[in-house]
Amino acid sequence: MREIIINELTQALQDLARGFAHYLPRLVVMLVIAFVGWMVAYLLKVVTRSILRLTKFSKLSENAGATQLLNQAALPSSTELLSRFVFWVAWVGFILLGVSVLGIVALQEYISQFFLFLPRLFVALVILFFGLLAGSFFSRAALLAAVNVNFRSSRLLSISIRIIISIFTLSMVFEVLGVAKETMLITFGTAFGAIMLSLAIAFGIGGKDVAREFLEKRLVARKKEEKEDELSPL
Amino acid sequence: MWTLLTALNLCWEAELAEETLLTDDFLRQLINVGEVDILVGLRTYNNAKTIEPVIRAIQTGILKCFPRERAVIINADGGSQDRTPELIVGASIDDVWSASKVYALRTLHSISTPYASSPEPGTALRTILAAADLLRAKVCVVVSPDSTTIEPDWLQQLVRPIYSDNFDLVSPIYRRQKFEGVLMRNLLYPMTRAIYGYRVREPYASEFAISGRLATDFLTKEIWNDERSRVGAEICLTIAAITGNYRVCQSFLGPKAQPDRGASDLVAAMRRTVGALFSSMDSNFPIWSAITGSQPVTTLGTESEVMEEPVRVNRKRLREMFFTGVAQLEPVFRSILSAPTLSELQRIATLEISEFNYPADLWAKTVLEFAASYHKSVINRDHIVQALVPLYRGRALTFLLENRDGSGEDIENNLESLCGDFERLKPYLVEVWADRK
Amino acid sequence: MRQAGWYKDAIIYQVHVRTFSDSNGDGIGDFQGLAQKLDYVQELGVTTLWLMPFYPSPLRDDGYDISDYRSVHPSYGTLEDFKTFLSAAHDRGIRVIIEMVANHTSDQHSWFLASRSSQDNPKRDWYVWSDTDTRYGGTRIIFLDTEMSNWAWDPVSKSYYWHRFFSHQPDLNYDNPAVREEMWNVMKFWLELGVDGFRLDAVPYLIEREGTSCENLPETHDVIRELRKKVDDQFPDSMLLAEANQWPADLRPYFGNGDEFHMAFHFPLMPRMFMGLRLEDRKPITEILQQTPEIPASCQWCLFLRNHDELTLEMVTDIERDYMYDIYASDKAMRLNLGIRRRLAPLLDNDRRRIELMNGMLLSLPGTPIIYYGDEIGMGDNIHLGDRNGVRTPMQWSGGWNGGFSAADPESLYSPPILNPVYGYQAVNVLSQRRSEHSLLSWMKHIIRIRRSSPVFGSGSIEFLYPANHRVLAYVRQLGKETVLVVNNLSSAAQAVELDLRRYKGNILIEMFGRNVFPRIGDLPYLLTMGPYQFYWFRLRRI
Repeated sequence: MREIIINELTQALQDLARGFAHYLPRLVVMLVIAFVGWMVAYLLKVVTRSILRLTKFSKLSENAGATQLLNQAALPSSTELLSRFVFWVAWVGFILLGVSVLGIVALQEYISQFFLFLPRLFVALVILFFGLLAGSFFSRAALLAAVNVNFRSSRLLSISIRIIISIFTLSMVFEVLGVAKETMLITFGTAFGAIMLSLAIAFGIGGKDVAREFLEKRLVARKKEEKEDELSPL
Repeated sequence: MWTLLTALNLCWEAELAEETLLTDDFLRQLINVGEVDILVGLRTYNNAKTIEPVIRAIQTGILKCFPRERAVIINADGGSQDRTPELIVGASIDDVWSASKVYALRTLHSISTPYASSPEPGTALRTILAAADLLRAKVCVVVSPDSTTIEPDWLQQLVRPIYSDNFDLVSPIYRRQKFEGVLMRNLLYPMTRAIYGYRVREPYASEFAISGRLATDFLTKEIWNDERSRVGAEICLTIAAITGNYRVCQSFLGPKAQPDRGASDLVAAMRRTVGALFSSMDSNFPIWSAITGSQPVTTLGTESEVMEEPVRVNRKRLREMFFTGVAQLEPVFRSILSAPTLSELQRIATLEISEFNYPADLWAKTVLEFAASYHKSVINRDHIVQALVPLYRGRALTFLLENRDGSGEDIENNLESLCGDFERLKPYLVEVWADRK
Repeated sequence: MRQAGWYKDAIIYQVHVRTFSDSNGDGIGDFQGLAQKLDYVQELGVTTLWLMPFYPSPLRDDGYDISDYRSVHPSYGTLEDFKTFLSAAHDRGIRVIIEMVANHTSDQHSWFLASRSSQDNPKRDWYVWSDTDTRYGGTRIIFLDTEMSNWAWDPVSKSYYWHRFFSHQPDLNYDNPAVREEMWNVMKFWLELGVDGFRLDAVPYLIEREGTSCENLPETHDVIRELRKKVDDQFPDSMLLAEANQWPADLRPYFGNGDEFHMAFHFPLMPRMFMGLRLEDRKPITEILQQTPEIPASCQWCLFLRNHDELTLEMVTDIERDYMYDIYASDKAMRLNLGIRRRLAPLLDNDRRRIELMNGMLLSLPGTPIIYYGDEIGMGDNIHLGDRNGVRTPMQWSGGWNGGFSAADPESLYSPPILNPVYGYQAVNVLSQRRSEHSLLSWMKHIIRIRRSSPVFGSGSIEFLYPANHRVLAYVRQLGKETVLVVNNLSSAAQAVELDLRRYKGNILIEMFGRNVFPRIGDLPYLLTMGPYQFYWFRLRRI
């Protein structure tokens, strides 16, 4: 009995040692990859930061209104944020690469999904950025145009345009990321359709007199105002 | 790769566009005209209502004042649908004899070319200058098709200084109504004077004359490749003349006709003038930053009095638009103006009409800060120009209130004072420009 | 020599006997000398000689003040010499037309001497007399530089006599049938000798009437019709040429219905050709020709560039006159009587190309061309000689003694020759130009030959083309099936011109000087490129 137990224990210890000997080199390789990855990621972060500074990305970001948003959220500047993002994406990527060396089958699929997700993430970020930029630009353009024709609710108009563009942008982002895709589409479609329908009903039936009065005031008043203002600029 | 291909394609198209500025048909017509001494250019778009008396006056002016000179009238049309080009080309010089008994010694060509399917004033001017260059015109005169007040003698007053006295640019001075040309008097003239050091009263003119030499040189400038500058080509031309080695003078003409325009044109007018002026400051910084003060420009002809005709103005609306602008555009102004300036504007916006006053020095500071922000592109440049419009309205209101009971001399004195403010604040502009403040 | 309508194809050479050639060494040209030069005239290619007045005269107006209508001034020879000359000319196929100064005579004419002698003299009414100088008030004075009035006081008969020209040239009274009869007899005299026609001088002024301009009156036309009828009845195919410096519309009546003059000078066209050349613009030329009315088929305009008189600027507007003075007569000494007293070559700065172009237009525009003696070799002028004598200097035949004009002492010549290095007879003369096939003389002979090769130039219609390039004057001459396209570049710079020749589609163009073929006319505008002052004559042929 004692001999059997000793033999089993010896066998188990040997198996353990064998297993350890099998995985230890891979662990070392994983750690090396992780370390190298850290260095590469850091380098990429520095390069990204320099490029963004050179191309005055912060100004673009300010124009897009992203800077204001980040400030409000007590986040670092867009240049810094993006650089850090690049760092983390790169390092996580290397870590996962190292993990794949360990040969754990169950993890391989998740690792490959992560790498497949990266391009979509990049596209989504680009869409988000340009969406914010467009929203800022068009809302400001609408604000200025409305102010210059003495439209009373110019701020409201401007904000509305920014919201609509933002919603549209977010919808596109979520669609690209594939996050709750159908939910987003349905929600957006429903909300947008509902807004349009309610506006149509409100103006078409419920408020047609108001709408008429509103339009008349706007158009006729403007003509009268324009006629009365004979100051020639040039 | 795709970006590279797109860029190459754009370059190719730009080159083609450069080559086709003069269409084959127009070129053929120019060949038939041959070398000329005087070229009169008309930029038109649906001007059938006013063009006939203008053409008649031009023809009479040429035949009466320059009967021996070789002349041509060139119309660059932006796609008129009311037969404006046909009216120009069809105006016969035989009718001049019937009306004014002025005999035509020579053939006087009138030719027309469509330069675009929709109006682009800068391209029209460029077409005319290209024709002047090709025909080696000694003098190129540009006349507005809306100038219903034009007299035949205007040709003499615009052409003679170049023809006989070797000037390169003749800028007009009009006999104006008291409250005409508010933007010109409150911004364009004082700003151009302060920045570039020359007292050209109408830096953006509807009628002017340039020498063949200036026309040829101006054609080679980079402004044609920049849309903002191209839109304000007239003011760029004035600036090119006063910053280059050219002789500039001014000539008294007569009353200026005011075309029937709506409020929406104010934004377009600002783009053409203020936008182009601000844009020009970028490339000319080494020149204007070294200039201090200003000098008078040779002025020819008899000075005429300011006209006292009454004009209807809705002052309440002006004040309201100023107030709305200051309130609604605050986030925009925060990017453009300094805090003290914005704060002062907000204070003024609360004043009633009876107390309303947008002081000259504040206005000058506002404009200069706008110019600096334009240079730094704090936001989209076109938005910067648009943002200035409500503030201009406030200044226009002050101009009206200030000069309501004033004589022509009083207005001149106020204008001189405003110009002084612009000149005095120029060092401030230089500091803000270089971000030292 | 008689042939109906011969004058329409004629090329006339205007010459003054006195200036052409001196045969007897007295310093004055004569008929014998002229006869000796007929070979030259024939070689030049002209078909008709127009002789300026050679009648006996005090010569106070270069022979236009006639004192005897039926003789020859002794300085120029005798009547026999004239007959010999006339016969020699006809033998060479050259017609001769002579001056008939019908409006006035010299105050030394026997008629005037009789008329002034007393109020009762039978010839008293042969002239226009008045006790006062106020009649016919408002009538313009023609010789502005020398005359103050159209009336002159005669101390012999103690009354005023009417004169439209110099005061020593009293006007004949055509209201008097005797005057008309006598003038016809004078003309008949010369026609019977064999002359082929007359240039009637100063015809608008024949009749005066109170309250009128005393020019172009209906009665004047009655006189002319009467004369013409007699000419046609007794001397058919003789030619009458009117000298009437009037606007084309006012000239038209002088053709009548083909029953007055056969030809008339187109005065208004001439200064406009010079104007068009300097303006580099066809407008003055086309405008005046557009205003030129149609004339009867048997009639013809006479075209000229220069003649013995000043380049008249009467029939132009003030602005045109000022321009012409400034451009062509900057020296006031060149100006005389609302005109410019210069020859062709000096007017054109001796520019061969311009001289050729002007002659090309002269020989291709509709009308009978007249070449003034000496212009075919590019003779110069002398504005320092009085009156219009600067353009009436001796013909330059050679570089030798007196330019080959006369063997007399140079001091005894009727007029000094041109001596300067540019236009002087050593530089410009017939002999040296004959030796060169590229001389102006050779070129003139060539172009005259080409002109004579086609009747289209004399008798054809004209249709102007109006290409967009105003510096090009282009027109089509047509007679029957013969079509000639003439294109003239009035500019000092090369020009491109597109001509609308679709009407002539399918024709090929044959350039008439070199006889080279040019491309066929198609649907597209016909493009020609032309050198400075270049011109083309193209014959159109359908092959």
